[in-house]
Amino acid sequence: MSEEEKKSMLENLKSILYGMAGHDMARYALKTRGSMEHLFILITMGDLLGIPILPPYYSLRLLPYVVPQISTWKRRMLREKDLTDALA
Amino acid sequence: MSLLETFKKNPDRRYIMFGGKGGLGKTTFSAATAYWLAKQGYKVLVFSVDPQASLSDIFKCDIFGRGPVEIMPNLFAQEIDADRRIKEYQQEIRQKILDMYGMEKVPEEIENYIQAAAAEPAMEESAIFDAVVDIVISGDYDYYIYDLVPLGHALYYLSMASVYDEWIDKITALRTEMAEYDKVAAVMKRSKDTEEDQILRELQDIKYRINSSSSILTDKEKTAFYFVVIPEEMIILDTRKAADLFQKFQVPLSGYIVNRVIPTELAQQNIPDYLRNRIEMQKRYMTEIDQVFGGQVLAQVPEFERDITGLPMIERVANALFGGEA
Repeated sequence: MSEEEKKSMLENLKSILYGMAGHDMARYALKTRGSMEHLFILITMGDLLGIPILPPYYSLRLLPYVVPQISTWKRRMLREKDLTDALA
Repeated sequence: MSLLETFKKNPDRRYIMFGGKGGLGKTTFSAATAYWLAKQGYKVLVFSVDPQASLSDIFKCDIFGRGPVEIMPNLFAQEIDADRRIKEYQQEIRQKILDMYGMEKVPEEIENYIQAAAAEPAMEESAIFDAVVDIVISGDYDYYIYDLVPLGHALYYLSMASVYDEWIDKITALRTEMAEYDKVAAVMKRSKDTEEDQILRELQDIKYRINSSSSILTDKEKTAFYFVVIPEEMIILDTRKAADLFQKFQVPLSGYIVNRVIPTELAQQNIPDYLRNRIEMQKRYMTEIDQVFGGQVLAQVPEFERDITGLPMIERVANALFGGEA
């Protein structure tokens, strides 16, 4: 076995270990992070959904940073839930 | 204790405020104090946060929304134009969005939000608050004199700092937690550094601004707050209530100034009953003021024969306030 092959095997092993142990945790962390992002936008930009939030002056300063997330956030916040959701 | 002594004894008190009900002479005293300090050789800024500011009227010079304007050597006056500030601020936000994402125009939804936010009633106060923070933390002057709006607004303004502070604390905590999850994910994925959270940095900057201005306002080493009263029953009652409220916000009260006292020497002259009755009434309330506010009354300013506008009249008020030849 050449050095090259050894190295790639080691790399593959690392990836497998990550997939088995780390990936789920990382995914979970990112998912939680995503939910928190939406919560954050809700408490700073709630006015976008008609929920009055104090105080708008300083939330405007944060607005530029959340522009890309606004549409997914709105979709999530306004998604209606009913009985059929549970059946699906 | 006189007003002059409070200034001499507390040379570190560089933020001066006059409070009281509308029309009692806050602007007059702000202008007169600024005038007197400027004459002593200090660089002074007197500024108004009142949308219907009257500094322009008292100095007979239109300064509204023009930044600090030099009235005489060492004396600068400024009236904050909240509307314009809000417009500039909105434009700044729009520009930032365009720059950050290389967009041609701001998305409609976002644009609507920016416009709706500006229509909020709290927006104007917030913009003024932010403008004051700018002025206070710049540190360009020896003395800052706030010509405050009448009592209710002044309290609102002061309470705003604590509301903001709590709000910022909460969302900063959430943001910090989010950064931790980022880190966890990064460690698991073995990626190098997480990128710096710009929102967190922005929040910390806002917090710094709010804290530095509200800490100045409530620091009795740096700030002097004077109440203006006149010898009339309603004013005395209201002022006592307001003084209690201010105590709640930990605004250190430095003393009271009595305005519009009709010179009692007039009583010796042949004057109509109308005036004599008024003098009698004031005498009664002056005794009450003595009982209620006691040794905290720092100066008595007479009712002048004409209104206070222009520098020569301001000088006369300054002399009455600080004791000089009237």
